[in-house]
Amino acid sequence: MTSDAGGLPRAQASRSLFLDQMLRAFSSNKLSWLGAAIFIIVVLMAVFAPLLSVHDPLAQNILNRLEGPSAQFWMGTDAYGRDIYARLLFGARISLIIGVVSIVSAMIIGSAIGIIAGYYGGKIDVVIMQIMDMLLSFPALILGLMIVAMLGPSMENLIVAIALTAIPPFARIARAPTIVVKERDFIEACRALGYNDLRIMLLHVLPNVLSEILVMGSLWLATAIRVEASLSFIGLGVKPPTPTWGGMIREGFENILDNPWLSVFPGLAILLVVFSLNLLGDGLRDAIDPKTRVE
Amino acid sequence: MTQQVKGAAMGEDVVLDVRNLTTSFRLAGKWHRAVREVSFTLRRNETLALVGESGCGKSVTALSVLGLIPTHNGKVEAEHIHFDGRDLTGLSDEEMREIRGNGISMIFQEPMTSLNPVLPIGFQVAESLKYHRKMNKSEANKAALDLLEQVKIPSAASRFKEYPHQFSGGMRQRVMIAMALACRPKIILADEPTTALDVTIQAQILSLLGELKRDTGMSMIFITHNLGVVAALADRVAVMYAGDIVEIADVNSLFARPTHPYTEALLRSIPRSDRDTKTLFSIPGQVPPISRMPEGCRYAARCDLARPVCRRLDPALHPIEPGATHQVACWVRGGHDLAAIEERADA
Repeated sequence: MTSDAGGLPRAQASRSLFLDQMLRAFSSNKLSWLGAAIFIIVVLMAVFAPLLSVHDPLAQNILNRLEGPSAQFWMGTDAYGRDIYARLLFGARISLIIGVVSIVSAMIIGSAIGIIAGYYGGKIDVVIMQIMDMLLSFPALILGLMIVAMLGPSMENLIVAIALTAIPPFARIARAPTIVVKERDFIEACRALGYNDLRIMLLHVLPNVLSEILVMGSLWLATAIRVEASLSFIGLGVKPPTPTWGGMIREGFENILDNPWLSVFPGLAILLVVFSLNLLGDGLRDAIDPKTRVE
Repeated sequence: MTQQVKGAAMGEDVVLDVRNLTTSFRLAGKWHRAVREVSFTLRRNETLALVGESGCGKSVTALSVLGLIPTHNGKVEAEHIHFDGRDLTGLSDEEMREIRGNGISMIFQEPMTSLNPVLPIGFQVAESLKYHRKMNKSEANKAALDLLEQVKIPSAASRFKEYPHQFSGGMRQRVMIAMALACRPKIILADEPTTALDVTIQAQILSLLGELKRDTGMSMIFITHNLGVVAALADRVAVMYAGDIVEIADVNSLFARPTHPYTEALLRSIPRSDRDTKTLFSIPGQVPPISRMPEGCRYAARCDLARPVCRRLDPALHPIEPGATHQVACWVRGGHDLAAIEERADA
């Protein structure tokens, strides 16, 4: 019995391997903590926007138009006299909702497609991945542009457009590890236990490829926010007067030489969020790198 | 329970009856038979050992019975595979899934990789109960804990939520056995369940399997290349060579009178502590590759006793004496009238 009972529990007895990895990566990579912190602060500011600003983001006041930063208007006002700071906070809500909703839906749909393609292989795989490659051959911005141009600019259509551009990369990132995982013995063991394909894919393949998908998710969230800003900048985003970061840059662009703060503050906000998500994503990617992974 | 099972074992109730099972694989566009017209029966509470060297078709036979041969490059044909009053050959995927893990389950060779690394072991054991027996979560967890205790996992309750990487090889194999036993299957197919374990653990797992078999009344097909394991565990033995069953007998008869030259050679290659040998006996040559199987007896090329007829005609299983259950597929040793056969072959 002695040697058989040798498999003593390791230090953290009942914590998942996945969680362990994430925590280890975070503790080894200080920058990923920074990224997570910045992103969480931005999310909190967006959530509590009404408490953090005294001005209405939509209230126009022609007397205060194009004022510089001051004690009353921390980041100045735009051409209609609206408070830039308030618009930035409320704009964060729209930009984050568009980014998160589109990327989460792309993550779910794309992973499902990728896992199905990788799991079944053969003709199903070829057909699905050909379609994905076709979509992938368009740059995200161009594809988003086409879709919004066809559907018309609105928040919902923007989400659809960004989600559609993000589905193919998620399908690819989910398919590759699925092909590896499905050949492993425990999948054969699942078949020998009579489980159906859906159960095997959901309960046994998905948890094994989830970390890769999540890393991709954090990096693509940054891309989604950028694409949203780009589309809004060229006027295909959410309709005015609803504030979005991209839309604010475009509005400020008309007066950029005289009043640079109109574009600089939303630009900085985008930079900060994209930067924080990339730091976070890099940290998570280190966590699932097989070289740093401990068996 | 034990008494009842013993009584049943005396009777001839057959739980699995495989007739003329042939499994082929497509290699480079051509179909090759990896298992050729294999027939065997398994009685209630009996252990049948399938013995043979790597690549002889032992595992493929087991996977074929369970319908786990990939269909895109594999093909399973059989006259019938009767299990529990049903013929498995004509069943749909859906119907087969109900049998797998429920009526017949399988234990795999590699305990290190046969468990899902990201799911707690308790969950994995409970899963098949939820799936096949439609138990709710708390019932299934309770039953899974009982199973883990039954396979003698120390402090099973506190280890219920641990992950496979926190278990040693022997412990993982116990978990695999618990999973296979979960739905009280009538048959367990054990595919070299002790090969990947070290010797002391092997002995523990074997005695555990023997105990469980006695307590539950299940039958077992035990795949191994280790004749020592066979002697310890099996009731009957089928020796396979290159896709054929070349000898089948109850375990005492086989060890007392190994008749096929291959069986004999296998037994001679076991190192024995009571004999002073400088060199270990080994069988010269190797199993012919599946794409270049010779005509006639497939063992002929490695056989000391081979006659010309062996290279031309394929011997079928034949009782070594009239009426004996000990059967062997050999022209020379199989109780044939060799002269008559050679004459027929020449004609």
